[in-house]
Amino acid sequence: MPDSGFPWPIETTRLDNGLRVVVSEDRTAPAVAVNLWYDIGSRHEPEGQTGFAHLFEHLMFEGSTNVAKTEHMKLVQGCGGSLNATTNPDRTNYFETVPAEHLELTLWLEADRMGGLVPALTQETLDNQRDVVKNERRQRYENVPYGDAWLRLLPLLYPPGHPYHHSTIGSMADLNAADLPTFQAFHSAYYAPNNAVLTVVGDTSADEVFALAEKYFGAIPARSEIPAAPDGRHVAGTGVATTETVVTEVPAPRVYVAHRTHPFGGAGYDVTSVLATVLGSGRGSRLYQRLVDGERVAQPDLIGAYGVDLAYAPAPLIVTATARPGVSAKRLAAGLGEVVDELATVPVTAAELDRAKALLSTAWWRQMSTVEGRADTLGRYTTQFGDPRRAAERLPAWLAVTAEQIAAVAAEVLAPADRVTLTYLPEESS
Amino acid sequence: MTLISTRPGPGPARPYRFPQVVRRGVAGGQLVAAHLPGQSLAVALLLLDAGAGREAQGREGLGTVLAKALEEGTAQRDATAYALAIEALGTELVAGLDWDSFQVSVQVPVDRLPAAVELLAEAVRTPRLEPDDVRRVRDDEATAQRMDWANPGPRADAALRADLFGAENRWGRPLYGDPETVAALEVEDVRIFHSEWFLRPGTLVVVGDLERLDLDALAATAFAGTGGGAVDRGGPVQVAPRDGRKIILVDRPGSVQSTLRLGHPSPHRAHPDHVPMRLAGTVLGGAFTSRLNHLIREVRGYTYGIRGDFVSSRRFGRFAVSSGVQTAVTAPALVDAVGEITRTQQTGVTEPELAVARSWLAGQLSVELQTPRAIAAALTTLVVHDLPDDYHARLRTALLAAEVEEVSAAAAAHLHPEELTLVVEGDAALIRAELAATGLGEVITSTR
Repeated sequence: MPDSGFPWPIETTRLDNGLRVVVSEDRTAPAVAVNLWYDIGSRHEPEGQTGFAHLFEHLMFEGSTNVAKTEHMKLVQGCGGSLNATTNPDRTNYFETVPAEHLELTLWLEADRMGGLVPALTQETLDNQRDVVKNERRQRYENVPYGDAWLRLLPLLYPPGHPYHHSTIGSMADLNAADLPTFQAFHSAYYAPNNAVLTVVGDTSADEVFALAEKYFGAIPARSEIPAAPDGRHVAGTGVATTETVVTEVPAPRVYVAHRTHPFGGAGYDVTSVLATVLGSGRGSRLYQRLVDGERVAQPDLIGAYGVDLAYAPAPLIVTATARPGVSAKRLAAGLGEVVDELATVPVTAAELDRAKALLSTAWWRQMSTVEGRADTLGRYTTQFGDPRRAAERLPAWLAVTAEQIAAVAAEVLAPADRVTLTYLPEESS
Repeated sequence: MTLISTRPGPGPARPYRFPQVVRRGVAGGQLVAAHLPGQSLAVALLLLDAGAGREAQGREGLGTVLAKALEEGTAQRDATAYALAIEALGTELVAGLDWDSFQVSVQVPVDRLPAAVELLAEAVRTPRLEPDDVRRVRDDEATAQRMDWANPGPRADAALRADLFGAENRWGRPLYGDPETVAALEVEDVRIFHSEWFLRPGTLVVVGDLERLDLDALAATAFAGTGGGAVDRGGPVQVAPRDGRKIILVDRPGSVQSTLRLGHPSPHRAHPDHVPMRLAGTVLGGAFTSRLNHLIREVRGYTYGIRGDFVSSRRFGRFAVSSGVQTAVTAPALVDAVGEITRTQQTGVTEPELAVARSWLAGQLSVELQTPRAIAAALTTLVVHDLPDDYHARLRTALLAAEVEEVSAAAAAHLHPEELTLVVEGDAALIRAELAATGLGEVITSTR
């Protein structure tokens, strides 16, 4: 077993304004990854403002005090870099990977939009990006079969008022109602140096990064009051299984089974991660062996189980399968339920456990094989657990999980009475 | 607050060093490798001359079905035992094809690579291909394709490809076939394709910490029991002349977006204009700040994204633009897209735009030097297109040296706005009249 999942150096500092800076030097390739985690996700959004955190992510590319509209993209791509940003319930991250000589430019760009976005934000930009986000919603959720499954599962798993109850993409109505002053206030509230972590990994040194961080971010003032998200750590189980059936234009019946497990980062979620791999990753998984190769009720390429790595409430485990032609959704749901139930009653064998751990090890090292993968990981552990060095614990923690722990967690969180089942049925079969 | 208003310039440029390439003949096959010192993961990729171009017309999807059938049991073990053996190494067999090649690969911690290559070779060289298993894999693949074809995109792609290259040619049909061609495949088709193309040695690509790997032993494993030599791969195909611009409407009732696929044929991969064409395509539709994305997403707000590029394989190529736009703005989005293609063809590119394109593409070569998979893909390019070891360094130099005049000339020569096929997959009842009113071309309804 490796002692560490992160055998690279980590150096940290904190600027006077509260910005945490993490650096991991690696001279292997002539590239650096710059990554900012802001502790603002859809879990912070009040009622009536769903989708704001994500729409804001778009606005961050539309210019700031010293950067013209669209210039951000032009400058990063124009130096050979790649860039993007994502928003999820927990946080918003922004990242660039650039040839190493352009590190300073990248830090200047990030500082300018952290400290100087509000003066550049116009009604025209807001209207344009609201249209872009509405098109994103159409393209990713509305115009594809099963595209809205995640939007439907969240409110079934988490009660109204819970920070994970609503989806990150938000509702069209809330997006339409968003006005400019609300967005200006949103930036002022959350985009503060003391609510962010700057991580740089690659062909640079900690001394260089710390000096550049001070130069570009040092003058941005801290904010004293950053609004907290509602506490969602305790979700009362209803004791009643929840089901929802959607009859719509889909090519085959599909079933999703979902449970609330444990928050990402703790021992319970490490067990859940190994459990999900035993259950649903690869042809050797229980789901594949039973429902695809054995009973032949599920389609081979559309079956699996995975945890969604959310840290501030019991995170979801999602199990899904799509019916082979001639197989009913009821039959498929029964099969899925049985395989999930057996995690508590049929002990995981040593071979199953070794297989899962081998797959998780490769997945971990694949994430670590790029500077951007490492940067995002360090940003996560700093934001969510206060220390980037804790990233090294994850792989050894997975490798230490036992069959007994899997059975215990399964009995604890996968009970049929806590189960959410979402079924899609094709229109003609109704 | 004091933000620094002066944009910083670049620091000292790092040299571009593609890893040293090792090439040699071993055990009847070719070995190509690159050294990544200290890397914990290694990749082995077997490259076979069995791309979709080797499938007979009417047998589209054959390579895909064979790829999936490889794991249904081997001479040594059944499907379940095989899955458990390979997953116990922490990997999966990744098999797939493009127009020019069939590729099977594994990625594992470096000390497990010999065992993973043994399993890879076992599946590729000695699959059972039992008739019942092959039929089931075929039926599953047909079902999977029906699932995929329920999404917006595949029907539009197929309509464009058929119009560009002719559905009577293999390259005028979808790369992976369609649900009907897959369903029609026979067990014998699969077994014959395997015996014809999968028992030739091919090329083994290895990327990782070579100090910890015995390359000759890996190659001997990969090439054991193979025979037969290389087969002629054919020259560039002749594409029928275009007869003006047209709109092909693919009906998708109730769609909240229209899927756009606009294109025309373009030169094959070895064409001398490859580099300036790529740069012209990047200015027009490749970068985020491209002309198409700037106008249609950032100014108009019609879409989440739009991109266009020249893509080429050994025997043919195409220029294409793809996007999804809100139904109500289908016609104006189409007019805008054709307008930007026309403007680029007529007036070429500007130095500021080209500066972004050339340093983006060149810089990406540096950024992509990190992972074993990315290096393996780069080595695969060398093999498939008969390129020298220093190709990537030369490409970088050529990109950085490209001038406005040659890129504009490539745009003028290789963009054909008057001969575009404009495929629109959307709610025909809502958009047909508006499309006709654009005057961009005759509206033809696809039967797909």
